[in-house]
Amino acid sequence: MAITIFLLVGAVVCAILAVRSKPLVAALWLAGLSAIAAILIYLLGAPQVAVIELSVGAGLITVLLAFAISMAEDESMPSSLIPQPLAWFLVLLAGGLLVWLILPEIPNVSQQVAADAPFVVQIWDNRLLDLIVQIVIILAGVLGVLSLLGETSKETHTEEASMEGLR
Amino acid sequence: MYREFLPYLIFLTIGTPWIGAFIVWVTSDNRPRALNFLASAFSLIAAIAALLLLDQSQWTATNEVSFQLPMGPFIGDMTFVADGLGVYLAVIATVIGSLTVIFSIGYMAGSAQLSRYYALVLLFIGSMCGLVLSGNLLFLFLFWEATAFCSYALISFHNDDPKAVAAGIKALIITQLGGVGLLIGIVIAAANLPDLQVSTFLAQSGSLPSNILAVIAFSFLFAAIAKSAQVPLHVWLPDAMEAPTPVSALIHAATMVNAGVYLLARFYPSFVPVTGWTTIVITVGILSALLAAGMAIMSNDLKRVLAYSTVSQLGYMVTGVGIGAIFQSQFYLFSHSIFKALLFLGAGAIIHELGTRDMREMGNLWKRMPQVAIPFLIGAAALVGLPFFNGYWSKELLIEAAFEYNLVVFGLLVIGAGITAFYASRMCWMVFFTKPQAAFESFAPVSSPHRPHVHWSMLLAIFILAINVLFAWLTAGRFALWLRAVLPYHAPYILHGHDPATLISWATIFSISALATLSVTILAIGAWWWRVRSDRPADVSGRMSLAIRWLDFAFNRSVSGIASVTMSAAGLLQKTQTGQLNWNTVGIAMALIALLIILVGIR
Amino acid sequence: MSVTQALFAGIIFILAIGLYGLLASRHLIKVVISLQIMVKSAILALIAAGQAVGQINLAQSVALTVIVVDTIAAVLALALIVQIKHHTGGLDAAELNRLKH
Repeated sequence: MAITIFLLVGAVVCAILAVRSKPLVAALWLAGLSAIAAILIYLLGAPQVAVIELSVGAGLITVLLAFAISMAEDESMPSSLIPQPLAWFLVLLAGGLLVWLILPEIPNVSQQVAADAPFVVQIWDNRLLDLIVQIVIILAGVLGVLSLLGETSKETHTEEASMEGLR
Repeated sequence: MYREFLPYLIFLTIGTPWIGAFIVWVTSDNRPRALNFLASAFSLIAAIAALLLLDQSQWTATNEVSFQLPMGPFIGDMTFVADGLGVYLAVIATVIGSLTVIFSIGYMAGSAQLSRYYALVLLFIGSMCGLVLSGNLLFLFLFWEATAFCSYALISFHNDDPKAVAAGIKALIITQLGGVGLLIGIVIAAANLPDLQVSTFLAQSGSLPSNILAVIAFSFLFAAIAKSAQVPLHVWLPDAMEAPTPVSALIHAATMVNAGVYLLARFYPSFVPVTGWTTIVITVGILSALLAAGMAIMSNDLKRVLAYSTVSQLGYMVTGVGIGAIFQSQFYLFSHSIFKALLFLGAGAIIHELGTRDMREMGNLWKRMPQVAIPFLIGAAALVGLPFFNGYWSKELLIEAAFEYNLVVFGLLVIGAGITAFYASRMCWMVFFTKPQAAFESFAPVSSPHRPHVHWSMLLAIFILAINVLFAWLTAGRFALWLRAVLPYHAPYILHGHDPATLISWATIFSISALATLSVTILAIGAWWWRVRSDRPADVSGRMSLAIRWLDFAFNRSVSGIASVTMSAAGLLQKTQTGQLNWNTVGIAMALIALLIILVGIR
Repeated sequence: MSVTQALFAGIIFILAIGLYGLLASRHLIKVVISLQIMVKSAILALIAAGQAVGQINLAQSVALTVIVVDTIAAVLALALIVQIKHHTGGLDAAELNRLKH
């Protein structure tokens, strides 16, 4: 219990700092949040997903963000477009409603009677369709990124060609 | 032929075109010969696999499963059932698909974005095979939507032409509307049945409460009407002729529009008990048969005549399903696909060489393009139902079934056959035999000795289809036996009381209905001949044509009315879109809060 | 206050922080980071709910799907951001309110 509270507080601090910093530092705080989330997931009894979350969330996403930030700029923006009181109000209202909705129900939740199949059986037998859809999404994502980034090289080529033509 | 090959054959039939579509898509546009070869090879592999599925060792009854992928308990298994209805349509789709691809080698030579074209055609062939072979209702719907998407993408293939784009969107909207109907029917069925398999539905539909069954029956009927372009949802098919002609031949004559008839035939045994269903099916079929035939008399665009003709012939097939003649309807579908594809491809060759689709500008092609004229006339003879072409046998069997069912239906179908003969004669006359009209002389001066050179691939495809028209009807008896063996739920409806061996025989030729139809047909051809002789113009005008023209205009106006209402509503909503990310997020957050308030309120 | 209640309170807190970041950030990369924070909280919620109900393995399989989809979404978003930077020269959400640039 104490460890859980401690980790939760750490996660909240990481999230707050991620939102308030410049992009590059924010990416590092996000990595911290992912790591703490991974430890929490492990403590809750889900070691497989904890490992995946650690490597993907804390590793892959951070590297991608760093890569994107290096291609973009790291400047901090002027103050937000939306008046701060409005943003605070909406967030507090949404958070408050969620807490009011969820927390009283939790003691009423009972353990499900049906036995929980092992992880391997769940993934490969019961949710095979999920896996197939995941593969399709990954392929679509790869194709999308290739076509998006492919435009950059084609554009520079045509720019150079038109420059040559002008000269 | 070993039974163990069955899953592989099914995989080849459905999967090869899709793999081919992906490979063709990543091949560059700068290598047309590679693209042509790859596309033809993949579609031919699929065609051979589908033909091998016809072998007796691969016969599967509807309540057996040929191949399944377990998908967990929620949606059931992704099953494929290679029974008579499905395999026949799969054979049509792949064989005519591969002939269309071969034809496109010549037709689309020099065209831009060839890889996108071939990829879409192959994707379509695979989706169509998946649709007819599917044994799971949900996957049938998925493949249905995939074919609708491919149809839209291919109609608007020349996407710099605003007419093509508008036609594509019109087709998409109408067929997707039908798809919504199909989805509603499937969801209601899934809520009331233990699982989503087609065989379960056919077996247990009798246990559903009659009002639920009625809702499912009419939503499926709505989907079939939209997909098969029956009245009143037929308006998308004539406009869809903006597509490249091989696409018209494949999708809008031989394959996709048959999906609606397939749906009706597949679920017919379940829906017969619903009061009024068969009556409405027959009514829709006859209305389409007659109205579209009337519109065909008045069109001057060669492809539009063929499009209206397709709607009319589909009306015959739908009527066949409605009166319970499942075999005759499927056999008619088979014959129609072949000769309609032949007509479209022949029209494509003509349009490609002359550069125009207007029949008033064509003429004298009998002398100038005999290599296209003869197959085209064979196809037209089959359409009209002249003896011993495959159209004759299928039409006679269907009309004979109507004769035994109800004399009014019989009479109307015979009148339809007469109108068919009339517009077919008009079409052949205007294209092949007469001079171009004086105002349109620019294209084909009569005295020119120039014979257009038709690409070998176009001639090959047309030739193969013509051979099929001449001889494919010999398989009718065997087809009937096969259907009777593998369709346990349809068995009472397949040639009830007839012996399949006597289908192709003198008894059929000399039956009353056949002689009546033949005489009406010959009268109609004679009427056109007399009209030509008395030197009347090729444009048919008069009060009847005005009435038909007004009806068609009314249908088009209602469709555009719905579109304009939607557009004005969209214009009002556009004011809320500032385009800035953060304000959009405020909107999302407010929606979230509203949802949470509702949830708290419910609790 | 049981462990699960504290857990969910913390998760909702993180979700709220992510939502605030989404509303208040003008830099597009901060927007992506805020989205990632929200998805982390969703994954935590799934696992916590699975543990409370006893079906931890079912929750794990669903959480795996969520992680994969979210990663692909982040990848595509970052590729788009790189292109936007290349084409328009800036990453300010207030400036980017038209499709054509």
